[in-house]
Amino acid sequence: MSITLAQLRPVRVVGVGLHPYQRPTDTPYTQLGVHAVRAALTDAGLRWNQVQTAYTGTATTSMALSRLMYRHLGATGIPMTQVENASASGSTAFRQACIDVAAGLADVAIAVGVDKPMNLSAPQRAAGLHDLVDGRVVPFTHFALLAARYMYEHGTTPEQIAAVAVKNSRNGALNPNAQRRKPRTLADVLAPPQISGVLTRLQCCPIGEGAAAVIVASDDAIAQLGLDRDRAVSVLSSAARSETVYDGENFDAALTRETTAQALAEASVSASDLDLVELHDAFTIEELLYVEAMGLCKPGQAATALQAGEFDIGGRVAVNASGGLLSMGHPIGPTGVGQIAEITTQLRGEAHGRQHPTARTALAHMVGVGAVCVVHILRKD
Amino acid sequence: MRTAVHPGLYDVAADQPTLSGTRCADCGRVYFPPLAIGCEACGAPEQQLRPIPVAAHGTIHSLAEVHLHQGKSPVPFTVAEIQLDDGPLIRALLARDEHHARIGDTVSAIWAVTEGQDGDDDVEPVFTTTPPVTEARKGANS
Repeated sequence: MSITLAQLRPVRVVGVGLHPYQRPTDTPYTQLGVHAVRAALTDAGLRWNQVQTAYTGTATTSMALSRLMYRHLGATGIPMTQVENASASGSTAFRQACIDVAAGLADVAIAVGVDKPMNLSAPQRAAGLHDLVDGRVVPFTHFALLAARYMYEHGTTPEQIAAVAVKNSRNGALNPNAQRRKPRTLADVLAPPQISGVLTRLQCCPIGEGAAAVIVASDDAIAQLGLDRDRAVSVLSSAARSETVYDGENFDAALTRETTAQALAEASVSASDLDLVELHDAFTIEELLYVEAMGLCKPGQAATALQAGEFDIGGRVAVNASGGLLSMGHPIGPTGVGQIAEITTQLRGEAHGRQHPTARTALAHMVGVGAVCVVHILRKD
Repeated sequence: MRTAVHPGLYDVAADQPTLSGTRCADCGRVYFPPLAIGCEACGAPEQQLRPIPVAAHGTIHSLAEVHLHQGKSPVPFTVAEIQLDDGPLIRALLARDEHHARIGDTVSAIWAVTEGQDGDDDVEPVFTTTPPVTEARKGANS
């Protein structure tokens, strides 16, 4: 019978680091990635030669990119593996690093997300699939369709959906690593250009470049290497699922509901225990759909709860305190790793300027086209 | 000559559009676009996936007017999710002159014809709330 992460040996996040997310530049990915790794090593109090395995979440840059990056830290001969899982690439790299430490295959493992938007691939085309809207439905229209249906079912207004971007821009303005750092009013968010359906430009996340790194370690490593146990954050669970056949129900929400329920159960945590949530808000409507799917509020109540400030920093549960994909940005590979960096920083009480009070338990969620979903739950004791 | 914009998804020789789907002989699930290789619902092999005509008739589940598009279709155009009476939830275009469609409306397909290369007619089905009488010659969709 299979077991869960929680039944293996404990996994602690001991170091996090980022290269700010930004518009694409001429900076090579190697420089972005090494910057984040060095920041994470410094944060953990580790040297590169103490890291025993590396997983690189990446989807849009190049095959075989790991060693060309890590060699600048000193070539130690450790295993290096690229992890591609669409938008959930970074989350999946983190999951692999956790599994290695939990299983005892490594005492110190690093998950790095790094990407530049160089090669955006088309899996449907590779599979030879065609439909009546071939190429005429890109992600923003996929989510515009979900938004229209959500408004139809719940009577939600376009303004209530746009309010997600207002909140997340307020948070992103407080995050030095965010790509969009301007707080936006509702009028700003609703202003043209109109992209698809009710979605305006500021309701769609920016795809840029950046890097994020997270180091996980066993308790043995923390003791032997003299790491700061008081700043370590525990990984309570790791759940990953893929889409099945959902008749009528939208698959993004259904998959999020299933994967979150599994992660909560494996962590012995209930949705009401969560103080912080970083979720995949590539488009405003997603945040409303997913907070409901996760059980953070009742179906159809997300817009009202948002309006009441329940998802603000300082609210009932802070959602996307980093600014989320909408404001922090979505460089693809880094995004899921950056979420872990954000919730670790929050749980340590070190998120200066955007600290959510009483942050003890947090969840990170990404979905990726395919569709896949990856959820992690972390806790600071 | 009439040329299908999406070969294999419908027969442009028919007077009214009918979609070319597949049905799994093992579990009964109906697919459009047609599915090959194996059944998503039950894993039955390709030989169990049989061609079946799917009526281009259903109810609008959702819709979005698209204002930004990098392909050759001029914007705006409207994409709809349509719950077909025969089972599948599909995505398709609404007719260019369809300005008042709402979620819950009943729709069926008509042929949209645009002039393609070499003077051929490029033909594809688009959905309308108005029952078809003749072909929609205006309102190019491509």
